[in-house]
Amino acid sequence: MTLSRRDFFKAAGLAIGGALVTSGPVLSKGETDPNEYAAMLYDATICVGCNACTNACRQWNNTTPEPDDRQVYDAPKELSADTWTMIQLYQGENDYSFVKRQCMHCIDPACVSGCPVHALQKSETGAVTYDKDRCIGCRYCMYACPFHIPRFEWDVAHFPVITKCTLCADRLKDGLPTACAERCPTGALIFGKRGDLIVKAEKRISDDPARYVDHVYGKDDAGGTSVMYLSGVDFKNLGLEDLGTRPIPEISEGTADIILPGVLIGGPILLGLIRMTAKRGGWEDTWPL
Amino acid sequence: MATITRPSKNDIPFAFWPLLALTLLGIGLAIYRLVVGLGPTTNMSDQYPWGIWITIDLFLIPFAGAAFTISLLSYFLGREDYHSIIRPAVLAGFLGYGVVGILLFLDIGRWNQFYNIFVPGFMNLHSFLEEISLCVTLYTLILILEIAPVFLEKWGYTVPVRWINRSIFIIAGAGIVLSILHQSSLGSMFLLMSHKLHPLWWTPALPLLFYLQAVYTGLGATAIAIKLIWKAMKLPIDRVLFRRIGQAMSINLMLYAALKVGDWMGGGKIPLLLKPDAFGLLAWFQFLIGIVLPLAILLSKLVGHTSGPFWAGIFALIGTFIERLVVSWIGLAEPGPISYFPSFVEIFITIGMVAGGFLLYWVVVRYFKLFPDPDKAHA
Repeated sequence: MTLSRRDFFKAAGLAIGGALVTSGPVLSKGETDPNEYAAMLYDATICVGCNACTNACRQWNNTTPEPDDRQVYDAPKELSADTWTMIQLYQGENDYSFVKRQCMHCIDPACVSGCPVHALQKSETGAVTYDKDRCIGCRYCMYACPFHIPRFEWDVAHFPVITKCTLCADRLKDGLPTACAERCPTGALIFGKRGDLIVKAEKRISDDPARYVDHVYGKDDAGGTSVMYLSGVDFKNLGLEDLGTRPIPEISEGTADIILPGVLIGGPILLGLIRMTAKRGGWEDTWPL
Repeated sequence: MATITRPSKNDIPFAFWPLLALTLLGIGLAIYRLVVGLGPTTNMSDQYPWGIWITIDLFLIPFAGAAFTISLLSYFLGREDYHSIIRPAVLAGFLGYGVVGILLFLDIGRWNQFYNIFVPGFMNLHSFLEEISLCVTLYTLILILEIAPVFLEKWGYTVPVRWINRSIFIIAGAGIVLSILHQSSLGSMFLLMSHKLHPLWWTPALPLLFYLQAVYTGLGATAIAIKLIWKAMKLPIDRVLFRRIGQAMSINLMLYAALKVGDWMGGGKIPLLLKPDAFGLLAWFQFLIGIVLPLAILLSKLVGHTSGPFWAGIFALIGTFIERLVVSWIGLAEPGPISYFPSFVEIFITIGMVAGGFLLYWVVVRYFKLFPDPDKAHA
């Protein structure tokens, strides 16, 4: 815990004024051009499912392997508190594909929008980062995320944290690429600036249109993400749903911007007016309630 | 001023003992949950990160919203006759919010730093969960102020009672504004889940629907409570008041119905209603039992009869419970084979806390002056 008791009271003193002026030290939208964000492009048509990325992630982040029943392979079945990225297999009738799963690092993330205490934030690098010293463990982020990514340490009593891919924010600051992309032996997963990766992805599609579904998933989906996908099979089969191109938090934040000032200012005025007219009599007895 | 009399053994109703046992069991299990964590005690999972506690909270908040509706009618719409039920409603509200607060505290994983929601630099005012947390906390303080005179009078502190009575319009007004905010925000909280919540329930109108639902549910709960308590205490029931509650309820039910039907038709969701799956059926059930039936009762002559608003309240409450159940649990399914049903600990903590609420209510009814004198109510 970084917050001392004294800091808490000091902060609490500023509560009323401060709350109305600032909603926390979060990067305001548009401060960094999303094309400059650190990003990854995953090409499902190249991936051979070797799981080197999963392993690289474990080594860098010190997570515990989740072996299969025979205790032979590290074989996580789903993302979990200990598995922040993994390769899953889609097996169709006539086709199959691998898909890498991890946090998509949305440009406008629903988890960041929902988090009551700004424990989840969008950093300048584009990574969606997590601060356990702020988190209260409410798990709203898990429901808000359209990609079903954040996980919770259910078995930890004191005190569980939310886990997910960090986009190796602790490597980005030293100019290093993400651990998984650095390890990928096939080139299925590449790291770079988001803008450059979009150009590369679109070139791959135009160079070999028969190989790909004509869509770079994440370029515009859900308002755009920093992890983007190319695929030879329908994206739905890879668990990448059609979420539209509007940012997920748009409706929620738009509503907050109207309701908060509307009710806080309009409410008392309306109540005052009702009270005044009621006091003067007149309609008091004709009011149907 | 009467002194507190110790109850003789005969004074204590039979229901007291099972309620006490359930409360103690709930407290024990709550401590157990805090010691060993959420994993061993609950059936929540990465696929179902919220469980029955959130569902119950979502239901208890409109239920306890009676306090705000009655304050609005009584203090601002000039309905003097509601004064007699303000105290019982406010106490129910306070205890309801108390249960909600305790369940939320038990639900969050990092309860050691729950106060982070009050740290200005951390607050996310775009998060409806933050807004609800702040509103519910402030509103609970307001309810304490509103109910304080019951205790202060008994203990002979007349000066603070006078202060509170003098500023009751400001106190009650602040409570109403905070209630409008957090009752609607409970719905707004699910605006982020447009991709997860079933479309028959997800709509941009969620905040308005939840607000209207809170108003008619609170009124329904009031009608039920008055009928039961007045009967138990052998107070005469004020029929005019009863009809007024019914009429206020029917107006809000109609607004809700119009909005809901408008969303279903405007959003092209009729095919989903005609689909014979669980959600289609639930939506019909909720609409017919929770909206149409109480409206039919209240628009008929039954509204002038005490059992009219009473039964309308019961059905409206069932409808509200279904809506909150779907929105926070059934309709929010994550992909995958995992399902959720609350564990023994989750269920008995919930029951225990609610039982504790009833217990405290009884204690206050028994030892303090919550209800008007019978002869006064006649006048």
